[in-house]
Amino acid sequence: MTTEKWQIANKTLQSRLFIGSALYPSPAIMKEAIKYSGAEVVTVSLRRQGSSKTSGESFWSIIRSLGLEVLPNTAGCHSAKEAVTIAQMSREIFETNWVKLEVIGDQYNLQPDPYETVAAAKILIKEGFEVFPYTTDDLVVAKRLADAGCQILMPWGSPIGSGKGLMNPYNLRTLREQFPTLKLVVDAGIGKPSHAITAMELGYDAVLLNSAVALAQEPVAMARAFALAVEAGRLGYEAGAMQEREFASPSTPTVGVPFWHQGRN
Amino acid sequence: MIPVTINGTPKHLPKNTSIQEMLTMLAYDNQWSGVAVNTTFIAKKKHHETIIKAGDEIEILSPIAGG
Repeated sequence: MTTEKWQIANKTLQSRLFIGSALYPSPAIMKEAIKYSGAEVVTVSLRRQGSSKTSGESFWSIIRSLGLEVLPNTAGCHSAKEAVTIAQMSREIFETNWVKLEVIGDQYNLQPDPYETVAAAKILIKEGFEVFPYTTDDLVVAKRLADAGCQILMPWGSPIGSGKGLMNPYNLRTLREQFPTLKLVVDAGIGKPSHAITAMELGYDAVLLNSAVALAQEPVAMARAFALAVEAGRLGYEAGAMQEREFASPSTPTVGVPFWHQGRN
Repeated sequence: MIPVTINGTPKHLPKNTSIQEMLTMLAYDNQWSGVAVNTTFIAKKKHHETIIKAGDEIEILSPIAGG
């Protein structure tokens, strides 16, 4: 029994795990981990590199060999203008109109700047991009992004690379309830497979993670663990979990209990 | 020669250098480089016709790993 295929943007996918390509001990481990994750979407970026005819080519050739959907990010941008420029450049280089919109407002916790993110989203949507906006779990910011035309929201679980999991499940649940028709992807802060399960059990459509796999002691094994976790979480969500109770309720029948005496607790 | 900044480093280029000529000079003439001038993206199809001016801040970026 596996989960069914699902649609995001213009693509139909089987996996609900998106994976990053950074921080791995080696390119070979990156490639194996991505394969074992089963992810069909991989994030990439653009940076200044040395003057060379092969700048970026070896990394990019590995990613291309995997045949996955590429989701370029605008990591490192601090303004809407910078993010739009990087998105436009990414579209040309990576030949996709998908963009993970990241506009950072603070270097300590890499929290997205809500104002610049919304401003950039408006511009990019007008220019025909499919915007995957990295945001906090703030409902009002999410509403502004949805009003700007975003069909996908990517709220953080916790700060990028922190591994702290889902800091505010209440807010994440609220976003799920308030945006039933949008695709929601928990992005950032996931550290363990249990975090991914929780996100999927909340009804999120997917999770995006990088450090949790790349910085694990065994990245390839961890990638497999996350693949299973995301599948399990989604199956659990679709199966409909039992209602939580405040009191105990025996699962073994109470009729015919041996040694039973009237009045005993 | 005109002063410019390329990837954060001050450099000098001959007057009337196009973006394409600059990329060739600096050995960036592969298909996996993107260019922005003064935070504005310049599409590849305009590289031959866009002339770099004194004081321009140029970014030449290539694919890299990202999260």
